[in-house]
Amino acid sequence: MSATPETPGVPDVKPEADPAGNEPLVLLELIQRLKVRDVMTAQLVTVPRSATMLQAQELMRQKKISGVPVEENGRFFGLVSIDDIIRALVAGTIGEVCSRHMTTKLVVLEDDMPLSFALRYFDRYHYGRFPVLNRDQRLVGIICQRDINRALLVELTRELRRLESSSVQNVGQDGTTSIYVLREFPICKYDFENAGKAANQIKQLLQEKKFPPKIIRRIAVAAYELEINLCVHSDGGVLSWQISNGRAEIVARDAGPGIEDVAWACRDGTSTANEWIRSLGFGAGMGLVNVKRVSDEFEITSKKGSGTTVKSVINIA
Amino acid sequence: MTMSEIADVLKAEVLVKGEGIHKGVRHVMASDLMSDVLLVDEDDMLLLTSLASDQVLRTAQIVGAVGVIVVNGKPLPSSMVNVANDLRMTLATSRLSKYEACVAAHAALNPA
Repeated sequence: MSATPETPGVPDVKPEADPAGNEPLVLLELIQRLKVRDVMTAQLVTVPRSATMLQAQELMRQKKISGVPVEENGRFFGLVSIDDIIRALVAGTIGEVCSRHMTTKLVVLEDDMPLSFALRYFDRYHYGRFPVLNRDQRLVGIICQRDINRALLVELTRELRRLESSSVQNVGQDGTTSIYVLREFPICKYDFENAGKAANQIKQLLQEKKFPPKIIRRIAVAAYELEINLCVHSDGGVLSWQISNGRAEIVARDAGPGIEDVAWACRDGTSTANEWIRSLGFGAGMGLVNVKRVSDEFEITSKKGSGTTVKSVINIA
Repeated sequence: MTMSEIADVLKAEVLVKGEGIHKGVRHVMASDLMSDVLLVDEDDMLLLTSLASDQVLRTAQIVGAVGVIVVNGKPLPSSMVNVANDLRMTLATSRLSKYEACVAAHAALNPA
């Protein structure tokens, strides 16, 4: 007998929205970017099917855990929970093997799902933990809400330090010598509800600063194309921009999946976008070409399996 | 001819009156490919499209379009009206096909 895992279907990667629309973008980006495997406990405490319920109970007491997976050589059979132990105590079957009393109908998560998906399932099912399987259906970890809290605190602290060290806003008024603005926008994969907002904000700020319309248009087009590219083609990333020393610099940086052939990707009409992306009006393979067109300097570095960085520089002086 | 007058010519229902509603239209772009729209360097542009998505409005804002008319009588998601209000972008919808709308707009902007 093995567990009957209920894996969610196509992950709906869109996080639950705050009705007031007040979610911090950094937090949204984190729960999209982090995968279940980044957060789960991978060092598992498990028992074999032949272990007794009493042995499982003793292990749970020693390790201070509220559930223990039943597993042999990576194959996942079920889970012994506190409820199972109580039922066994009441029924007088605490000495019997756990394969007879474990819970086998389980909801499981897959290790490459985004963390937002795990959060949604904790909210929906009210379980204390979810076993985590890989694509080969092998048990690779277990995730509880404590794991999520810990991982988010670590990541948020890291993000805060990075933002504190890099963000300089509205310093000076002289575009030739000093920085006007340096801002970073986290961009989530397939988040079309928000895609374009960063470029729109950049354009509005440039209009407030009364930059020449032609310059504003070029910067806005470069920022928008790069933002859409991050949304469509990357696993999520960051769009940053600054104006200093007579130059506007827009940088799109992501952590994957990378481009195998950069020269091919920069050609007119070449695209890896799927039909859904095309149905939204994008994916015609003109994005990078258009960024190059409006840029005075253009750089792209990428490596398959890692990340891509695209930099567009537009002279404003 | 203003955006408002063009909307009348195309028998369009104006859902959001944005900043460009009384601006003159000098160029019309008809496309469902936003990447193509971003390639156009024309001022005072009206965007005709049969694509009903928020990104149409964001794209129109980036290129400085005076307004967007969604053709083919496509039902618009409510989010489009919200985004148009946020961006102060004029948004209208017309029952004409894209071809009919192009012909009507051309005739209106280029009287014999």
